[in-house]
Amino acid sequence: MGLRWHHFALWGLFAVTLFVLPEFVSRGTLRTLIFANFLAIFAISWDTLSGRTGYISFGHPFLIGIGAYTTAILTKRFDVAMEISIPIAVIATMVGGLIVLLPALRIKGSYFALVTLAMMELIYQLVQVIRPDLTGGTRGMSGLPTLTRGAVNGYYMSVSLMLAIALTTWLVMRTRLGTALSAIGMNEEAVSGSGLSVTKLKMAAFLFSAFIAGLGGAVYIHYLGSIAPRALFDINFVFTIIVAALIGGAGTTVGPIAGAFFLTFLLEYLRPYLPGAERYMVYSGLALILYMAQPKGMWELFFQGIAKFDRLGRRE
Amino acid sequence: MSAKLEIRNLVKRFGGLVATNDVSFTVEPGQSIGLIGPNGAGKTTIFSQIMGEHQQSSGDILIDENEISRLSTPQRILAGVSRTYQVPRPFSDMSVAENIRVGLTPDSIWQMITRGPNPDRELELAESVGLAEEQLARLPSELSMGDLRKLEMARTLATAPRMMLLDEVFAGLTVNEIAVISKLVQSMRDDGMTFLIVSHDLKALEPLVDEAIAINQGQLIAEGSYSDVMADKAVRASYLGAE
Amino acid sequence: MLQVLIQGLLLSGLYALIAVGFTLIFSVGRVLNLAYGAYLLIGGYTYFYFSQQLGLPKFAGVALAGIIGCALGILKFQLIVRPLKGNHVAIEISTLILAVFLQSVVIFVFGDSSKILLPIIPGVERVAGAAIPFSNLFAAIASWVILISLWLFVRSTHMGRAMQAVSMDAKGAAISGVDATKINMFTWALSGTLGAIAGVFFASYTQLYPGMWVAPLIIAVAVVIVGGIGSIIGTLIVAHIVGFLEILTSAYIAPELRGVFTMLLIIVILVWRPSGLFGREEL
Repeated sequence: MGLRWHHFALWGLFAVTLFVLPEFVSRGTLRTLIFANFLAIFAISWDTLSGRTGYISFGHPFLIGIGAYTTAILTKRFDVAMEISIPIAVIATMVGGLIVLLPALRIKGSYFALVTLAMMELIYQLVQVIRPDLTGGTRGMSGLPTLTRGAVNGYYMSVSLMLAIALTTWLVMRTRLGTALSAIGMNEEAVSGSGLSVTKLKMAAFLFSAFIAGLGGAVYIHYLGSIAPRALFDINFVFTIIVAALIGGAGTTVGPIAGAFFLTFLLEYLRPYLPGAERYMVYSGLALILYMAQPKGMWELFFQGIAKFDRLGRRE
Repeated sequence: MSAKLEIRNLVKRFGGLVATNDVSFTVEPGQSIGLIGPNGAGKTTIFSQIMGEHQQSSGDILIDENEISRLSTPQRILAGVSRTYQVPRPFSDMSVAENIRVGLTPDSIWQMITRGPNPDRELELAESVGLAEEQLARLPSELSMGDLRKLEMARTLATAPRMMLLDEVFAGLTVNEIAVISKLVQSMRDDGMTFLIVSHDLKALEPLVDEAIAINQGQLIAEGSYSDVMADKAVRASYLGAE
Repeated sequence: MLQVLIQGLLLSGLYALIAVGFTLIFSVGRVLNLAYGAYLLIGGYTYFYFSQQLGLPKFAGVALAGIIGCALGILKFQLIVRPLKGNHVAIEISTLILAVFLQSVVIFVFGDSSKILLPIIPGVERVAGAAIPFSNLFAAIASWVILISLWLFVRSTHMGRAMQAVSMDAKGAAISGVDATKINMFTWALSGTLGAIAGVFFASYTQLYPGMWVAPLIIAVAVVIVGGIGSIIGTLIVAHIVGFLEILTSAYIAPELRGVFTMLLIIVILVWRPSGLFGREEL
């Protein structure tokens, strides 16, 4: 896999930094960091599907929602323990990932994006209408069991989950599976022309993405202790996930993490100056400008710099 | 180890247009055949039907006596046939080595994860088509047209084909590059590879083929030795555009 | 029964109007403009501001909504679509970001709560026990007038024919001397105008709130794709299928389920026949 000692050193440094952080920052910042961790998880999930294979999902909350609702319903209505309900939720989300896969076998580009958007809208309407006694209808559910108490514990849980998912994704994407998935995003016909079954590869990407989304979604609502359909199946939520992945750098693992932290803290640091809705104006305006400037993300800019430096060095 | 290709009564309709009209021919193991015809004659359409990128309307395609029409493209590649494209379409954001790596990747998710790439084999393939070691780290956008065609050959060879379909391999190349690719095809012929080659550059094509097949408007109009086919009246007329 | 028929016709006319502004961009520019919904939003709020808060005549409010929609369309073309030069994924994503941006602008100016638009024309007519607000009737008639004039415009004017030419083959049109950039800009302007006016009608049919643009956007895109890209007739037919499906669902099954069936229909048809029911085969 071409692993070098400096890879481990950088991951180690990153992990240690994140783990000692609670000693130095306030409770408020810690809560912001928790949200950034979950956003990073969702952005990684989006990226393994859309950033790599080029199948842009505009309905990722569809997957996250399946995971979140499954565990919420199981724990709240059927008193199932979280140790059991969360794995079930992850499996249910992976089945949901296969549902998203079906259109991707036939349609591409804008059409796929649209179908995923329609799926999100569909599940949003369904949870409100079908069996509101189970789903809580428009209001959602509260009083769900929580995994942790307090900001510090919540932080450690979210950071461990995020790091585990990030490291796993990073390792998997460094293998030839990662190469093949990126190849689909560049030229699908040539991948099958190279003797690889595109259907099988897409299935791997969708299942992997759904696994992360389901796990992240299930743990997230057991951190919050509540679930609200309007916040979950919201176009703003889609926007935040996609922008986090894109601003950081799609098709990389560190990119979505960087993007998620950047966006969360941007929003947080704007709060003292712009307390109201104008914060979101600045936020989305800035996202638009950044994206227009470099659609491949900040990470790409950074890599381009490194590559240039590297090449200069080699020529000497 | 070379493959045999047999095409029987192949027909492909696109709406009202008949792109392939009852074409039959056989390429014996180790044989090299030139497929010629004017623009729009339906040469590339035949290639895409052999590879399963388009499904034929009727007729049979056999590799080593086995019907492959129901197989997917990757399964046909596994059966031993691979093609190159008129316009090389490399994976644009990947290095030359990674491009070849995709061709070398086994079609099993588990093996993709557990088995690492094989840099020696990548280098060997690159060198076999005449790419230099220092080019392995380059991006396709930094390569010349000739090198792109070599890369395409290397990626196709990586799938271990026993028969290759070459589509306009000489288009856009300099005289020197034509000579290099030509030599490469010659040496693969010596190793027993079966070829079906489409080219507009008839001069470059001639030394590479044992026999030729001419098609026009989806129909086979002549087959036989290269010189016989070129002397055929219908073939000459089709190239001039007259009836 | 008659009530269902009338309500179906009214809603379908509205959907057709919403979809037609979108189909212009999709067939001429080949771009999935996800910010199309934002025209509806901006149109609705512009009308609300001028006619209801400032008290201008209602007709002036609709006209101003159209003008602002037109300006927005031109700005969007110049600032986003042109610089991204046909990179479809980038255009889709940046128009999505733009839509979210415009939504936050609306929240900033008008607040998060929903507003009730006063009817454009007050009064209700009763036909066979069905209450038909004049406002909705006016919206449906206006939709039809706009659709027919648009159809005539595309078929019989020089500009309309140039638009058709660009939609069929941009390169070919360029060779025959059509300035594709100019046509594109005109199309964006026209689409913005239509979208904003449709927004006024749509908001008076339902209500005005910052998130109102998502559902009609999905319906517009779906109607266009299902109807077949570039087919005005197909767009009309599918707008009626969707409109009647919603009315029938709320009349005979359950009002809450009206959106569910629409989304299901969209997903099923897109997966089953990506080229649409009446469109030419491509993509």
